[in-house]
Amino acid sequence: MLLTIIILTPIIAAMLSLMVKRRVWLLEVYASVAALIECGIAFVLAVKVGESGSYVASHYFSNNALDTLFTVVVTIISLIITWYSIGYLRKEKEKNIIGFRRVRQYFVLLNAFIFAMLLALSTTSPTIMWIAIEVTTLITALLITFYNKPSALEAGWKYLIINSVGLLFAFLGTIIFLAAASGTDGGFIAWSELMTYAGRLHPVVLKIGFVLVFVGYGTKVGLVPMHTWRPDAYSKAPMPIVALLSGALMNVAFLAIIRFKSITDSVIGVDFSSHVLMFFGLLSIIVAGFTIFAQENYKRLLAWSSVEHAGVIALGFGFGGRIGVFAALLHMLYHSLAKSLLFCSAGNFFLKYGSTKLKEISGSLKSIPLSSVLFLIGFLAATGVPPFGIFRSELYVMLAGIGEHPILIGVMTAGLALTFLGFLKQVSAMLFGNTPQHIEAGEASLWTTIPPVLLLVVFIILGFSLPGFVEKLLVSATLLIVQ
Amino acid sequence: METLAVEIIIICEVVAFLTVFFMHLVKENATLVGLFVLQSAAIAIGMIVFAFERGAFGLGITALLTVLIKAVIAPSFFFRLIARHHLKFSGTTYLSVPVTLGILILLTLIVDSTFFAPLASLAPHSKQIILLSVASLLISFFLMINRKGALSQIIGVLAFENSIVSFATAIELEQTVGLEFGVAFDLLMWVVIATVFVSMMYRHFGSLDVSGMKRLRE
Repeated sequence: MLLTIIILTPIIAAMLSLMVKRRVWLLEVYASVAALIECGIAFVLAVKVGESGSYVASHYFSNNALDTLFTVVVTIISLIITWYSIGYLRKEKEKNIIGFRRVRQYFVLLNAFIFAMLLALSTTSPTIMWIAIEVTTLITALLITFYNKPSALEAGWKYLIINSVGLLFAFLGTIIFLAAASGTDGGFIAWSELMTYAGRLHPVVLKIGFVLVFVGYGTKVGLVPMHTWRPDAYSKAPMPIVALLSGALMNVAFLAIIRFKSITDSVIGVDFSSHVLMFFGLLSIIVAGFTIFAQENYKRLLAWSSVEHAGVIALGFGFGGRIGVFAALLHMLYHSLAKSLLFCSAGNFFLKYGSTKLKEISGSLKSIPLSSVLFLIGFLAATGVPPFGIFRSELYVMLAGIGEHPILIGVMTAGLALTFLGFLKQVSAMLFGNTPQHIEAGEASLWTTIPPVLLLVVFIILGFSLPGFVEKLLVSATLLIVQ
Repeated sequence: METLAVEIIIICEVVAFLTVFFMHLVKENATLVGLFVLQSAAIAIGMIVFAFERGAFGLGITALLTVLIKAVIAPSFFFRLIARHHLKFSGTTYLSVPVTLGILILLTLIVDSTFFAPLASLAPHSKQIILLSVASLLISFFLMINRKGALSQIIGVLAFENSIVSFATAIELEQTVGLEFGVAFDLLMWVVIATVFVSMMYRHFGSLDVSGMKRLRE
């Protein structure tokens, strides 16, 4: 029942929003109520899964600790981003950038996007998960072209083609895995059946399948060299959507990789998949570290930061063991919150300055002090500065790898240091200096400042002391992957 | 399996493979779409024969969905698009015809290497069909990379998907009808959205040549 409600709520909200005429407040109410219900159910699920280890709704839908952890993260981020969207779109409507139709389109697609992510997390079928993630591609492609400008269209097309091709590779890989269990259970093959029957596959075939799945879902995650869509899509999509792309969708795609990794490891051991993850993880950190220096647009800057974090997560899973996997999961949790905080505060920069170009942003501490402080904290948190949570998770990743891969840890540290320096250079130019004369001081509205403050509060609480049920979920999820 | 059925399926696979091969050589959009229809029809016939031989109801439904979406609905979208915007010729290729042909031959030969050989273990009696569908996969992937036209890229994606369907049929993968409907519905949505994108691109850029899209670099 709980999973049925959590999946149906956003799609009902999307359908109701589609029928709304001229009343923007109704769209806001539908989206907020739906996001609140989803978040509430996710917490109930977390408690139930914490008690019994899993929540089985049917043969087709169930949640274990790993799914529930991500469901909680996705619903929290979705709730706060929905609230932020209300303020963000009101301001854009005030400036006549968008009209009612666009606002309605936004909320319909936002709810559909959340639906697809929750469906991917709740299903027991790799095929349904693939369909759901493909649906997120279609929806977000439309959201990237939301402003209907040529550059947005170009970014949307690039995103659609690259991700569709990537996901076709993932589909091919999924089919190879499914072949192992073909003919069992009337054609509905669940993750558990894949785990049972994967041993039927030739080891080389299993490796080919894993590489295809990794390349496919890795495209969605945005690991180098499959990342090319990311800076373009991030720079053109509405800011709240970018926060969801980075803070929620990336985790869903990672979950698919982790599940296939567990299946592969159970047959041929951990070495193969670990080496793949370590290679692409490290490559992502290095490329992001060097590229951040050259950025001229703060949305692209944040996109590259997400590439770097995807690399850290991949390295954590690659190093493996209980510490490595726990560190990677913890990093996913902290990254989701920190990056959403950064994108929300960056959205306030955009609302104030009307530009995403770094050279046009200066003296923000005087013009939007609260958002600037939030951005600064978000920057420090995202670059792994102590005492924030990401420092802790990155330290755990290093601890997991230092024994067997000291050189990789050295390179990773250098990459993280590069990212920090590049980020610092850009952020200091934005925050300090003189505010352009035409910019009036003052935050846009409470709707655009309270959501990032909420994110900061949650981030700080989780960073210093994990609540019991979150820790339990993290530990159980780690054991599920390591076993 | 009956010898006649095997022969029909192999002929269908060869036709599907050749259509992807020729997609690289044609210049007119209408011919390109026509080749895609032919490829989809060949794969669907192969699936129907497979379904008939194995008594697989689900596979038969998938074949009908393939025909409906890829040989009827999608082409009708594309032909309408071509007629509305007078898109007689597709965008050019990044590589010349001789180089393209060389790469196509190379891609086909690679499939017959030791690297791909273990794939035949998925269904040893369908080795030829599996390898032909893998060759079609590689060639359709190359179509997406080599063509500058947005419509050609869409056809490349769909031809790639066709090759995956063909591969899944060859390894005798059976899924529930519900899941097949899910995948087909997703594909239909993809076709609709991609067609809308192409139409918008033509309105904004006056061309479907993706190499002319340089706004993101500004």
